[in-house]
Amino acid sequence: MIALDPYIVEALSWALILGGCFFYVTGAIGLIRMPDVFARMHATSVSETLGVGMLIAGMMFQAGFTLNSARLAIIFMLLMFTGPIVTHAMARSAQFAGVKPLLVADRTGASAALAPAPARKARPAARARKGGRSSKR
Amino acid sequence: MFAVAAVAILIALSLAVVRALLGPTVFDRALAANSVGTGAILLLAVFGFLTGRPEFLDIGITYALLNIVGMYAVLKFFRYGDLGHTGEEPSE
Repeated sequence: MIALDPYIVEALSWALILGGCFFYVTGAIGLIRMPDVFARMHATSVSETLGVGMLIAGMMFQAGFTLNSARLAIIFMLLMFTGPIVTHAMARSAQFAGVKPLLVADRTGASAALAPAPARKARPAARARKGGRSSKR
Repeated sequence: MFAVAAVAILIALSLAVVRALLGPTVFDRALAANSVGTGAILLLAVFGFLTGRPEFLDIGITYALLNIVGMYAVLKFFRYGDLGHTGEEPSE
């Protein structure tokens, strides 16, 4: 930014802006695809930290060492500080309002792999019936 | 390069608006509104670089502050039902 070759500055800002766009759109796609409110908060945090950070860094390389870079740095710090605060407030408010998080055991298909307890409870009765011989598992 | 960034931010904004329309709970819509606010700040900055007038960054700083205050107001209304609530007694 201070005394670099202009081609390097251009290449760096291209790379940072393209990466920032990729992470920002990824966070927005996660906002659509995630199954629960709390998972969606997790997805927007990606776009608010990585996406915004890389985009603003790319724009700072384009602006040079001027006042506009200081303004961009102020926007970056504002979003970095307020992002987790707002996410925490929203998650706490959602939990207080009674929104239950979607657990893995609630989703169809996953409960059979994670909850073998009902199958195991039937075994001692079979074992006692067969006289203590351990049946095949 | 700023045109690419502007198109990507517009795509992300439209996806957030879709979530604001779809969301089953009201917190989905509040989260989408927050994302639209952040996207608007970035779009302002990119637009300032596109047109060669970087004075839009000041508007971006102001809107970032307004966004967080607005989110707190909306969340307080969701919890207490009243923007003038003092927050002393626990409410249902």
